Amino acid sequence: MLDFVTNLLIFFIITAVFVKEVSLEVSRPRGEMTNEQDNDPRNAAIPISVLQDGTIWVDNREVDVRAVRANVERIKAVRPKAGVLIVADQNAPTGIVVDVIDASRLAHVNNITFSTGQ
Amino acid sequence: MQSRRHAPESDDHGIDLAPMLDFMTNLLIFFIITTSFVKEAGITVLKPKAMTPEARDNGNIMIAITENGDLWMDRQQVDFRRMRSIVERLAIERPDDSVVILADKASKAGMVARVMDEVKLGGISEVYIAADNASEGE
Repeated sequence: MLDFVTNLLIFFIITAVFVKEVSLEVSRPRGEMTNEQDNDPRNAAIPISVLQDGTIWVDNREVDVRAVRANVERIKAVRPKAGVLIVADQNAPTGIVVDVIDASRLAHVNNITFSTGQ
Repeated sequence: MQSRRHAPESDDHGIDLAPMLDFMTNLLIFFIITTSFVKEAGITVLKPKAMTPEARDNGNIMIAITENGDLWMDRQQVDFRRMRSIVERLAIERPDDSVVILADKASKAGMVARVMDEVKLGGISEVYIAADNASEGE
């Protein structure tokens, strides 16, 4: 029994992996979203576009990546329940999209949806 | 006097194994509990940095997306079309697991979106995007 326990112990020590990835939560738009959508304009999502070259547009104005948080906070002050809808170009770099997600989270928006232009 | 000194040694030889056995059993239980069976991606990508990432206990399935759009899962490169069936199998084996997408900083957002959709169609609804913690430094 002692041999068996020792073998089990060695097996678990060898297979133990202490990998812990830290990650961001983001949702995808649902197809039937139009049916459930809240029609109240005060709760409409904040649209943020990420273009192919990595430029970011918030509310139809081009903004710097460092200014995304301030812009989201400003709109959130008017529409407190609003989420963020990120519309990225198919070829937009993921790094910029993650920067936008991060900035939105820093602005205390937790309802972040990630969509790509068709 | 002579007989009292030799009496305890007469019937047991060698060291007492009981404390060592207790100790090893405890170690064994510890390693069984902490083993998480993480499906590693098997490739290193340059992850984006973020200020607000969170650790997930059930984020056990890693899918890596490299700069040029290749997908890696479970230490091998997989085809995009095969990915859904792999996710389906893993979802049946361990239904509580969630998927962490390790996307390269320079990978395309469209690929990340398609992978997220495939994973959801494969039956795992929780998908996260991995990021390095920027506040911890290099």
